[in-house]
Amino acid sequence: MPLRLLKFAVSKDHPAPRFFKSHEAPKKSYDVVIIGGGGHGLAAAYYLAKDHGITNVAVLEKGYIGGGNTGRNTTIVRSNYLTPEGVNFYDASVKIYEGLSEELDLNLFYSTRGHFTLAHTESAMRTMRWRAEVNKHVGVESRVVGPDEIAKACPQLDLSCSGQAPILGALFHAPGSVARHDGVAWGYARGADRLGAEIHQNTEVLAIDVKNGKVCGVKTNKGYIETKQVLCAVAGFTPRITEMVDLETPIVIHPLQACVTEPMKPWLDTILVSGSLHVYVSQSSRGELVMGSSLDPYEVHSTRSTLDFVEGLTSHMLDMFPFLSNVKVVRQWAGMADMTPDFAPIMGKTPIEGFYIDAGWGTWGFKATPISGKTMAQTIANDSAPDLIHSFRLSRFEDYELTGEKGAASVGH
Amino acid sequence: MTLRTSKQVGEWINRNKKISFKFEGEQFTAFEGDTISSALWAADQKVLGRSFKYHRPRGVLSLANHDVNVLMTDGIDTNIRADVVEVKDGMVLTAVNTTGGVKKDKSSYIDSISPLLPVGFYYKAFHTPRRFFPFWEKVIRNAAGLGIVNFDYPRILKRKQHSHCDVLVIGAGPTGLTAAYEAAQAGLEVTLVDENRQVGGSLTYDRGGETAASKQLNDLLIKVANQSNIKMLTGTYAAGYYPDHLIPVVSEGGINKVRAKTVIVASGAFEQPPVFRYNDLPGVMLGSAAQRLIYRYGVKPFNNGIVVTANDYGYRVALDLLEAGTKVVAVVDLRKGTNTCGAAITLAKRGIKIYAGYCVYEALASSDKSSVRGAVLCEYDNIANVALTKNKLTLECDGIAMSAGWAPAGALLYQAGTGMQFDNSVQQFVPSRLPAGIFAAGKVNGIFDLEQRLQDGKRAANEALRYLGLEAPQITVARPVGQPSDLSCPSHPYPMVPHDKGKNFVDFDEDIQIKDFVNAAKEGFDNIELMKRFTTVGMGPSQGKHSNMNAIRILARIRDLPVEKIGTTTSRPFFHPTPIGHLGGRGFHAHRLTSLHDWHQANGAVFTDIGAWKRAAYYPTNGQTKEQAIQTEAMAVRTAAGIIDGSSFGKIEVHGPDAAEFLERFFTGSYKTQKVGRCRYVMLLDDSGVIADDGIASRLADDLFYLSIGTSNAAAVYREMQRSQQMWQLDIGLVNVTGAFGAINIAGPVARTILSALTDLDLSYESFPISSVRESHVAGVEARLIRVAFVSDVGYELHIPMAHVPHVWNALLEAGKQHGLRPFGSDTQRLLRLEMGHPMPGVDTDGLTNPFEIGADWAIEMNKPYFIGQRSLQILAKRPLRKQLVPFVLAENFKGEMPMDCNLVVDGRAILGRVTSIAYSKFINRCIGFAYVSPAKTAVGSTFEIRTDSGTLVKATVAAAPFIQNQKGA
Amino acid sequence: MKLLTCPMNGTRPLSEFIFGGEYREGPDQNTCTDAEWAAFVHNRSGAPGDKKEWWYHSPSGTWFIAERNTLTDKVSRTYLLGANNNNSNTAQEASK
Repeated sequence: MPLRLLKFAVSKDHPAPRFFKSHEAPKKSYDVVIIGGGGHGLAAAYYLAKDHGITNVAVLEKGYIGGGNTGRNTTIVRSNYLTPEGVNFYDASVKIYEGLSEELDLNLFYSTRGHFTLAHTESAMRTMRWRAEVNKHVGVESRVVGPDEIAKACPQLDLSCSGQAPILGALFHAPGSVARHDGVAWGYARGADRLGAEIHQNTEVLAIDVKNGKVCGVKTNKGYIETKQVLCAVAGFTPRITEMVDLETPIVIHPLQACVTEPMKPWLDTILVSGSLHVYVSQSSRGELVMGSSLDPYEVHSTRSTLDFVEGLTSHMLDMFPFLSNVKVVRQWAGMADMTPDFAPIMGKTPIEGFYIDAGWGTWGFKATPISGKTMAQTIANDSAPDLIHSFRLSRFEDYELTGEKGAASVGH
Repeated sequence: MTLRTSKQVGEWINRNKKISFKFEGEQFTAFEGDTISSALWAADQKVLGRSFKYHRPRGVLSLANHDVNVLMTDGIDTNIRADVVEVKDGMVLTAVNTTGGVKKDKSSYIDSISPLLPVGFYYKAFHTPRRFFPFWEKVIRNAAGLGIVNFDYPRILKRKQHSHCDVLVIGAGPTGLTAAYEAAQAGLEVTLVDENRQVGGSLTYDRGGETAASKQLNDLLIKVANQSNIKMLTGTYAAGYYPDHLIPVVSEGGINKVRAKTVIVASGAFEQPPVFRYNDLPGVMLGSAAQRLIYRYGVKPFNNGIVVTANDYGYRVALDLLEAGTKVVAVVDLRKGTNTCGAAITLAKRGIKIYAGYCVYEALASSDKSSVRGAVLCEYDNIANVALTKNKLTLECDGIAMSAGWAPAGALLYQAGTGMQFDNSVQQFVPSRLPAGIFAAGKVNGIFDLEQRLQDGKRAANEALRYLGLEAPQITVARPVGQPSDLSCPSHPYPMVPHDKGKNFVDFDEDIQIKDFVNAAKEGFDNIELMKRFTTVGMGPSQGKHSNMNAIRILARIRDLPVEKIGTTTSRPFFHPTPIGHLGGRGFHAHRLTSLHDWHQANGAVFTDIGAWKRAAYYPTNGQTKEQAIQTEAMAVRTAAGIIDGSSFGKIEVHGPDAAEFLERFFTGSYKTQKVGRCRYVMLLDDSGVIADDGIASRLADDLFYLSIGTSNAAAVYREMQRSQQMWQLDIGLVNVTGAFGAINIAGPVARTILSALTDLDLSYESFPISSVRESHVAGVEARLIRVAFVSDVGYELHIPMAHVPHVWNALLEAGKQHGLRPFGSDTQRLLRLEMGHPMPGVDTDGLTNPFEIGADWAIEMNKPYFIGQRSLQILAKRPLRKQLVPFVLAENFKGEMPMDCNLVVDGRAILGRVTSIAYSKFINRCIGFAYVSPAKTAVGSTFEIRTDSGTLVKATVAAAPFIQNQKGA
Repeated sequence: MKLLTCPMNGTRPLSEFIFGGEYREGPDQNTCTDAEWAAFVHNRSGAPGDKKEWWYHSPSGTWFIAERNTLTDKVSRTYLLGANNNNSNTAQEASK
């Protein structure tokens, strides 16, 4: 047993301080207001303080921290994207993640499992090769592997998928990992709090005050806050916030659903994704199979569950793992994914001075949490977006310069 | 020693049929109808399972699947709910998650080191130094998890049922039975589901030592049985609520998806454990569990028991225990004052000692910690909710029944969007705002008195009737109003007994104690959702059925807030964990087959999936590899002729006076000037100017175009045509004839010779030139012949009714035999069209490619008034190209590592593009392909570098397409 | 599974339908600026509320308009385009 747990055994008082302070109400003004206390918003607050010394910052969360997509995703971290911009960006995120438990002094259970994107058709194999080539070029460990190597990593997998969709190969991405999603939010919250940022839960932004094209404050259910810089990091709520400042974006909200089985002893060590079967699955450290599928097919601003989703997903799970017939699904849930037409985020400055956007995270936001926090902090501190996120700028749509992630992200995760 | 009682009225076991099974290596007998747990309990087996985290011995808690104290493995099946699963002859059972057996679980040492494992301990350690984490992760992963999945478990394909009803009643207790009866009386079709294998709910076990309940149940059952419009599904639980009243009901046989016009939720309430030290010892169980043991299975819960209670229910439990032959040592009531309910009076008369204003401070464990040997009683401060430990009183006993309150089984109500409010008088969340068509009745509605419940069932039925437009009188059933301290309150507001040494469990699934909540709050996790996530309360397999309410109460106390300010966590499906096999069902994979599929199969085709279609990719003969087969087939097309089954191509007819106008708007080219009998290329863009698909439009008449387009997008393209027509309202009709027509393409120098043997049509160049269409007969079958040059300069696409395709196919093969005709597949087709220099959408383009990037400017008539994507092309035309597709060749006699499609075109660190198609052409003995390159270097003869899989750079030279010279053919 | 009412075929399970996106009227492509067109092509009114949407009943090949609240997912009415409204449509405008 690690020694750091000893103090809990010898002390009666549970010697652990609050993760973050509880504030009565927000102050009258802040240098920066971050809307959204999810992983991204909290990470931005943390890096604003840590990298740029900006600590007069409030994170406003209308519910509880990490309660949105941070706490609803299936926790996969990877960087095997299709475009060099994407690969570079997510690779930077993976690199921060690898040392994040130590940096935040919180065990995020960052567990590198290896990630297989299964290909059941020749055209899927082509896409895998395309991704592998770009990944290799950028220096990220991905390669196309054959059924043998998949079988070695996951001998339980029915390579014929019950004869319905034989697996021809896969894109293997060694750095693919899973982590504790809640911990990421809590760790950044604690880090930001310790460095001086304030976290306000149950604090809802009702309006954003813009004068002459410049942000000058936000109206909340706990009063008016003066500020010249606002970061919108609210995932599925993005259109509601951008509407407050009359900012048009391509974002539409589609629910993304997931479900989890009851715990079982560990048997699945890798992370498996099948685009054709619309399944991704890993086994959590508690022993549950955490499973997800593709987006819901139409726009809804709610986190309701559907039976179709779980029926389709489990049917395909059985194609891959027929022996799971009597393993039970405990719970299904959903998040609201803020989708963009090119499956890439929208990050950086906007036409409104002082209004910064970190959105369009669709189904891939969790894996980008550290790097989005870091680059958005940089953007706010310098009022200029770093090169790493240049291709994710909002103006790319007006410029007809969409990113090319579309091909890889049909069921990416 | 057996704890089996004498026969109980209405018991669920058949004492005439004995069953024998093994548990942890020991042989046991049971009666048919016993659950695994009831059988073992009857045999005085107390330790039935081990807890998830601390490996503490566990026995019966709810006997109702509201906890997972007892999960077992039987052969290849695991995580079996022993409390509710019937024992079967020959079962060989073991408890899950033990090291060396349930009795002497070696992992139980974890219990003794539990002070080292505070709430959220796994966040606090094991991550530094980083290199040791994988070790700890392995330890933790192996310690976690419940049963071991058996990889030999078969895939069980369960059929799904669908049904409809006017009223779905969930829960067949007295409330639900009454509601069902009343609704049925009015003539409605009623479906009544109950998770238990027999109906009756609380009437089957809550008897207060009398048989009146049993009689009442019989009367109800007779009434219900006479209603033929009630469909009763027992052993069936309502798994979740989905929009528009879709409720999957789940039984061992599978899922029945019930679509109901109205839903009456009469799902009852879960009894909640009071929380005191060692409340998890085997022998400490909920009052309702004790009653279930007695009346359903004829099993005495213990010999000398204490009842700890905080409502009148506990007194009824005490009477039931007496009825079963248990000696009731004492009734301990957290509340002060003399209870005057009937049961209390009866108990007093029978000389049972009642400790009012007392609590069980702790249960005392036997030396091996496997059972109860007594209980320490203290006076209870019912305001501060602490034990007054000055005077401790120890009573000997071997069991404790607990009845302190309830939580509504409101999962489906929550999922349906019901507003629930905390009712202080009954100390329970009750529905305050029900969605349309949903009604709640009975305990879940905060109504506990039996007579009132019956009335409430009737009320709900009447409301459902009125909702459906029938007449029914309005009935009012009021919940009692009063203070929670009133003795009539069914639930105690705070049934907790803090203890310095802890081990007072709130969540038995996850081994969570009171102090865990206190400590979590101390660390800032002081709202219910964060607390849930940090402590994991309610996250185990029973999803908080026995723990969420207490957690809410504890947090309310910590925050000094009323319970309603704390709120609840979100309820999600499923009510009980539901098997993947049930949910997945039979699993359908839709495939479309052409009418030649059997022929392809018989002739050794390798198939490939294109869209929904199975297409023959190539036909290897004599052990050929894929590459060899493709080259053989391609050479046949180049030197003689080949035929390919193109039946999967999309085929759409556009007819009517505005047909040409429609095409002009929908596609990029011009069609008004197209002559009858001629074919033109069509390209479809999306609004942003990206290529969506392409194909051929053949004008069969002034007012009839016949379109053939790619396989995978056909349905989507047709759909978009329909949408456009809805908007444009042109004078046209659209018919998707993809499935009506099959297509065969015969191509190659001798194609004309072969075909001419089967048709009277004049096939000469002059009368049937390239890009023209004719209607005639082939092999006696009506056919549309399209002169295409997709895979060869000489090629005919024959479009014929699908059913006749095999006939024509065989006729062609027969006629072509002497000419070297052979079939070729879709993979070969790719090589052939590459030789011809045709890019393919979806292969040589991607989701962002515009026509300029593939040099398709020729296919666009920008001067038309409108076509889809036009405006975006105008914008794109002003912008510099980012990449451009070029045909290329590798060096002559290239011998190095062959690049593959999707290998990158690189210039040092810069990615300029990628190879989209590449193949070796045997016919011209050259490696050829398409690639995206920098727009600055597209001139024929320019060179670029392709990086292969292994990293070597291969030089490629921009070439002119087509790669092969025009073949006139014979 | 939700139910949806096709104006031609009645109430059917949602699995028979395909979502076709919001029904939108674009700017006149002959007079609008490039930026206006780009905004029309790419941007969406993503905030929740009552929307007019395209839906397609797949088995019968019927496109129709559904008025739906994207927050509550409740459909208030469905009708064939043009049958119950007086909107001119994008492309006709554009082609004049």
